[in-house]
Amino acid sequence: MSWFDRFKSPRDNRHDPALSGSDGRTQHDAGLSDAERLVQWEEALQKKQLPPFVKDRLTAAATGKTPWLATMTPVELLTARSHGMQPIALVSGTCWYHYGFSWTKGHAAGWQTAIKRMQMEAAAAGANAIVDVRMRKISMEFEASMDFTVIGTAVRVKDLPPSPNPIVATVDALEFVRLLEADIVPAGIAIGAHYEWLNSWNRSLAGQASWYNQPLTQLGHFWESVRRRAMQDLRNSARSMGNGILAHTHFGQLVEAGDERNRSYLGRHIVVGTVVDCKSMDSFHHAIRPVVDMCDGESPLLNAAPNGHNVYATNEEEGSI
Amino acid sequence: MTDTNTIPQHALERLKGLRSEGHSGGIFTSDFSVNEFLLVRKAGFEPVGLCVGTCIYHLGVQYGRWSKNQEMDVLSQAMYEARELAMTRMREEAKSMGADGIVGVDLTVKRLEWDSDVLEFMAIGTGVVHAKGHGGFKGPKGQPFTSDLSGQDFWTLLQAGYRPLEMVMGSCVYHVAHQGMFKTLGNAGNNVELINFSQALYDAREIAMERMQHEAIEAEAEGVVGVDLHEGSHNWQPHIIEFFAVGTAVVPISKELDASTIPDPQLVLSVNN
Repeated sequence: MSWFDRFKSPRDNRHDPALSGSDGRTQHDAGLSDAERLVQWEEALQKKQLPPFVKDRLTAAATGKTPWLATMTPVELLTARSHGMQPIALVSGTCWYHYGFSWTKGHAAGWQTAIKRMQMEAAAAGANAIVDVRMRKISMEFEASMDFTVIGTAVRVKDLPPSPNPIVATVDALEFVRLLEADIVPAGIAIGAHYEWLNSWNRSLAGQASWYNQPLTQLGHFWESVRRRAMQDLRNSARSMGNGILAHTHFGQLVEAGDERNRSYLGRHIVVGTVVDCKSMDSFHHAIRPVVDMCDGESPLLNAAPNGHNVYATNEEEGSI
Repeated sequence: MTDTNTIPQHALERLKGLRSEGHSGGIFTSDFSVNEFLLVRKAGFEPVGLCVGTCIYHLGVQYGRWSKNQEMDVLSQAMYEARELAMTRMREEAKSMGADGIVGVDLTVKRLEWDSDVLEFMAIGTGVVHAKGHGGFKGPKGQPFTSDLSGQDFWTLLQAGYRPLEMVMGSCVYHVAHQGMFKTLGNAGNNVELINFSQALYDAREIAMERMQHEAIEAEAEGVVGVDLHEGSHNWQPHIIEFFAVGTAVVPISKELDASTIPDPQLVLSVNN
């Protein structure tokens, strides 16, 4: 019998104590049929809970019954261990969101729901923080909808109190401890989003068609205000978590619609950032040593780390306005 | 782990032929860079040879029910089995060289241009042996360990007090339902979550993760580092997607190693340029 067959019929290996929980069910797959799993997923998502088999997996990981899973590299693991941080499990949150009246607000809502779900998984794993959080989407998009996924490594940090709302950090374990050492807590992800329509009556934007060099003030002001409102929204979203925002992702689009006589413009802007809470403005007290980097290829010392999301990549190509 | 030498004498004799040090006739092969090579040696290991395993696999036919979220068992099994075959063949090669393990394993899937149902899977990595013939670094069941960690990461992992056991993976190919979603919504102008889709992605990811964890349990690992969980669509219909989880299962070298004995990393500034 192949590995796959054994996996698909977990009831057959219940006698194996390594694979069975205390209640005699297998740790993996929980002995459920595909249909039973789907029913449990649906119920859990509607009630804003976790399906029982996910809860079981996370509890088993929290108590050390099953191996911990971490996206950490060995260097990060080394740092995590020397700083009293224990990896527990991979946690994720997904929300497939349909944006009907607003793409912009839809994106913000999609991310926020996904983050909440990931925090719920981390809390069930007994974690007080989630590090290396990535914002992802798959390549499928149906009609006006797409998935919003966040995925990260749930950890237990010795110095932080347990919390029903674990800290969400988009930075990896190395940067996380570096921030903690400087008395800065990366607290969560803040999202600012704003969209607005600009209608042009009586060809008031007619300057576009003239022969002269000139700034398009109306459109310019409109676009500036959209982006400022998005930033304002970002600040509001961060207010409850901390007192600063780092590592922004900016995505903005200005779209033209309508005909020659009656043009309208849609401006939309999304900003995503990591919220930090600086306890004091103490300066950074580590010595820095110059070294020769022995890493091959893409070295984190020589190249900026990837920004952790694959969603708004296209905007970067245009120079990230 | 003991210091007793468990490698049979005849294997050691053959290994001597493969290693360069003091044996001008022996030549090792590897895809290591200079830095990787230095750090693997610093970790107390020597390369013996490049190990390769390939598998060209024909994927069976399976159609997802139009309106149903479901795992595509036939495809999941194919993706898993083909990777497993490639890995096993690579491990066999390492074993025949007398390697303690394989580091820097690169596991790739390639489409063959003449047939969309045929995929080529390849696993390639460098077989290494402990320079002093320490027998305690083998993977589960005395097989060579496998790891997708680079030579640099291998050194760091040992510094952190862990040794690699096995590359563990989990695969789930999933069909996301087509549905008259917007009929049930009544109004396509709403901003709403499509729970049916959310749940399909959750389920597929969860299955891939559970399977990887199951492999880690079987390897008797303490944990899994460097987990990469990604999605791919290998030329399938638009609603079919594979979630693939892969990482290196690790176990502590010594249960007694206290976290405080691990050296603190230092902050550095690269002066390469």
